[in-house]
Amino acid sequence: MKEGERERVRARRFDALYQSYSADIVAYCKWRAGSVSDAQDAVAEVFLTAWRRLDDVPAGDAARVWLYATARRMLANQRRSSRRRAALAERLAVAAPAQQQSSDSEEHIVHKALGRLGSLDREVLLLSEWEGLSPAEIASVLRCPKVTARSRLHRARRRFRSAFERLAAGEHAERRNYLTSEVTAPSVTHAFGGDS
Amino acid sequence: MKTSESFEALRRANPRGNASFDETVEATAARVRLRMANAHVADEPRVRHVRRRRPLLGFSAAGAAVVAAAAVAVIVTVGSPTGPIGVESAAAAVQKAVTLSAASAEQSGTVNVRMTHDGQPWTSRVIHWNGDDIEITDTSAGGPSSGSPMLVVNGTLYGHDPNYDGWVEIGPVSSIDPGSATTPTEQLSAIREDVGGATLRRMVAAMTGLTTAHQSDGSTIYSGTIAAGQIARETGFKEGQSIRVFPFGYVAHGAAADPASQLDTAVTVDSEGVIRDIAVTWGTWTYTVTYSELGSTPALVAPANAKPLRDVLRHTPAPSQQ
Repeated sequence: MKEGERERVRARRFDALYQSYSADIVAYCKWRAGSVSDAQDAVAEVFLTAWRRLDDVPAGDAARVWLYATARRMLANQRRSSRRRAALAERLAVAAPAQQQSSDSEEHIVHKALGRLGSLDREVLLLSEWEGLSPAEIASVLRCPKVTARSRLHRARRRFRSAFERLAAGEHAERRNYLTSEVTAPSVTHAFGGDS
Repeated sequence: MKTSESFEALRRANPRGNASFDETVEATAARVRLRMANAHVADEPRVRHVRRRRPLLGFSAAGAAVVAAAAVAVIVTVGSPTGPIGVESAAAAVQKAVTLSAASAEQSGTVNVRMTHDGQPWTSRVIHWNGDDIEITDTSAGGPSSGSPMLVVNGTLYGHDPNYDGWVEIGPVSSIDPGSATTPTEQLSAIREDVGGATLRRMVAAMTGLTTAHQSDGSTIYSGTIAAGQIARETGFKEGQSIRVFPFGYVAHGAAADPASQLDTAVTVDSEGVIRDIAVTWGTWTYTVTYSELGSTPALVAPANAKPLRDVLRHTPAPSQQ
């Protein structure tokens, strides 16, 4: 095959890869990155790596698992370097886009329950429930034996359920208390000047 | 509680269900394009002669080589779900330019902001940013702070004192006390919003009566009208009047201060699909923002011999001695 034709085939394959899995990788990175911007950077790095190492990307749906594993490494690298940036953002007092906080109480409870899991438990649970991966695919992403992935998933599901139920029960009790007490909102006056 | 309830709640919290998820995917495509374009330039074989610095978004010009052609094909396809540019509506084309420009501006960029009256320069400033560092220079002829940049590098604010000929290290940005005027932190936050694409998106979404004019240099001018309130945001009150501020910090006045006024607006998109400038006109006034070096503005450097503010103040004569 001539060089030009080979590159066109590469480009078509990459294009198909992007069209098929970009939304999956955006969803994966969006929740795990420190900000939307970091998530976009991570996705860009994942697909740049895929473009550079296209011959290493497995065919078929295994490509998705390869992309998740790459995204996981990118996010880990990003977290290491973002510790320094976080210190700078604090000094600059320019608010970095925070992880989106849901006002919806159910989603809020889900996020809190996830926050109570260990990072590996959380990862296997989300790879299963949000990304739809099988234990064997999760093992590929985490580079661990299948049996480990399976037992970790079982444990994570049990812990999540327990955390969710405790939090949901607390939320209901809190809401009852709120409804039965008189709540006075503080009056807030906000004024600031501007220059011209 | 049934086991399934907790897991149903977990599945409902999947980020894919978020209303803005599709928008995030679209915006991410622009970032991927940019990253691949940048990497493509970096991956090119090193050449011995010095080449003119190529804008990072100039990837379409680099399509001569076979590899380049393939890469360009990829990055042009990514994020172009609306089909070939020839069949795009003007609004879709401008929206795409906004997305690409905002993604490019996220890393670094330069804007030249000018206001003219009767065609004559009234006021202007140049803003460079790279990451969290920023430099703002008033370039108005004869202005009180003309030619004296304000610089923030690594969270430290540098400026100039009328009694000292050189850079002054003023201190951490966060330590500047808010007074009657906008603090550097507030100014930086507002500019971040402007360069981050939110302002551009709001303006372009509000443009009506769009017309298209193709230019001989490959650029396209999209003209229309926008309600002034969509351009100049209300930022607060001063002396009982609400203040509306244009992107990059100038206070709107006249018809531009009336949120219902329809202002003539022209957005120029260059041949690479990136916004080059935005011009807003009302009466005899024109407000123009010109973008350049998006993604390729050099890193800002702290001044080498900046003198701490306390040292400058110590050697400055007290007002009674002057």
